[in-house]
Amino acid sequence: MIATIDTDALLELMWAAPLAVATVTIAYGMLVNGTVRALEARRDRRTLAAGGFAVLAVLGAALFAAAIVFGLVVMVSKD
Amino acid sequence: MDSDIILVIVVVTALAFDFTNGFHDTANAIATSISTRALAPRTAVTLASILNFVGAFISLQVAATIASGIVDADLITTTVIFAGLIGAIFWNLVTWYFGLPSSSSHALIGGVVGAAFAAAGSDAILTQGLIDKVVVPAVVAPIVAFLGAGGAILITYRMIGRLRPGHVNRSYRVGQIASASLLSLSHGTNDAQKTMGIITLALVAHGSLTGEHPTPPTWVVVSSATAIALGTYSGGWRIIRTMGSRIIKMDPAQGFAAQTGGSAVLLTAAHLGFPLSTTHSITGAVLGAGAAKRLSAVRWGLAGNIVVAWILTLPAAAAVGAVTYGLSTLFGDGALGPLLISVGLLTLMGLMFGLRVRRGPALTAPAPET
Repeated sequence: MIATIDTDALLELMWAAPLAVATVTIAYGMLVNGTVRALEARRDRRTLAAGGFAVLAVLGAALFAAAIVFGLVVMVSKD
Repeated sequence: MDSDIILVIVVVTALAFDFTNGFHDTANAIATSISTRALAPRTAVTLASILNFVGAFISLQVAATIASGIVDADLITTTVIFAGLIGAIFWNLVTWYFGLPSSSSHALIGGVVGAAFAAAGSDAILTQGLIDKVVVPAVVAPIVAFLGAGGAILITYRMIGRLRPGHVNRSYRVGQIASASLLSLSHGTNDAQKTMGIITLALVAHGSLTGEHPTPPTWVVVSSATAIALGTYSGGWRIIRTMGSRIIKMDPAQGFAAQTGGSAVLLTAAHLGFPLSTTHSITGAVLGAGAAKRLSAVRWGLAGNIVVAWILTLPAAAAVGAVTYGLSTLFGDGALGPLLISVGLLTLMGLMFGLRVRRGPALTAPAPET
């Protein structure tokens, strides 16, 4: 009976879904962490550190935006 | 003439189901955003209803696939569809009354399965399809979402634990708006299409539409989108309260982890061609986000009640679908049976709303407090 269940898709889901969740979480964490610490560094006049954290925030924002675009593409292209 | 009247009754009932689907499932997209104050309650339901409406127009690929592979397609008549819808509406109203999140799609499948069983016996039910499309996803969705959101909150606390909470909380509230919007759009795409599919199926059974893969007429798309948007705008506050603050009291990072975790699992599953229930995924994610912080933070008794409601969804909706089909056919093949049952259902809905209003506002209750 179990034979017709798509076990490959099921197994792929088991690792792909947590990986997707972790990626989005880390991306947004980078955005928040980078933004907050960049603001703190700028306030303390640590220009180099502020720049570094700003880059981290931009990378996180780009990754998060990419995840949202991927979600939209999945929605539009499903069959 | 009778078949025309039955078709009209089925279309109206399908739109009524769509409405209950909207207000029943509003919680999936916005409950955590409201409870963490990322969005004001009225703003949240307005945003969700607009995106549900828009989502209904995004893709028409899955229309007319509801219950396919689960019941024998040759046995689908307008009366079977009508009885299935009544089963689904009944279960949506019961779970809404008790404030329990449950899958509207599973209720619809259950209703149609019960009605088809009453019409043609056990041969009408494709057991393997039922296991593949309902039972396995119902087990997989909450577990994967639970683990995903649990992992997400642990990662989040690791990354932001030493930062000042003020800015962090504001940032995660903004993130929740993005994930709530994505979920609302996804809900409109998936669930409005089920109603379009049901109406299209009824039009085919009636003979108004032909072809192997009929496209839903424009009026079907617009009316389905409008019904689910209006239902969403009504706001099923009882389920919002359960999802947003009764299972766990969550902070913005937990709300973000639950919502993003749930939606990432849903969209990954959709990408792999393994569609999961939104309700099961988001509820599992809310539990995971709470349990990963502290096991005792979760109200496990309430979680148990929700799981019982999930287990009962298919048999309960099927039983009502079967009884409805039986009652309809008692009055012959004409429109009298469905007409009388529709009037009875409207009376029941009026009574339930009346009882709820006597205990406090039913649809327009204020935001759940955190």
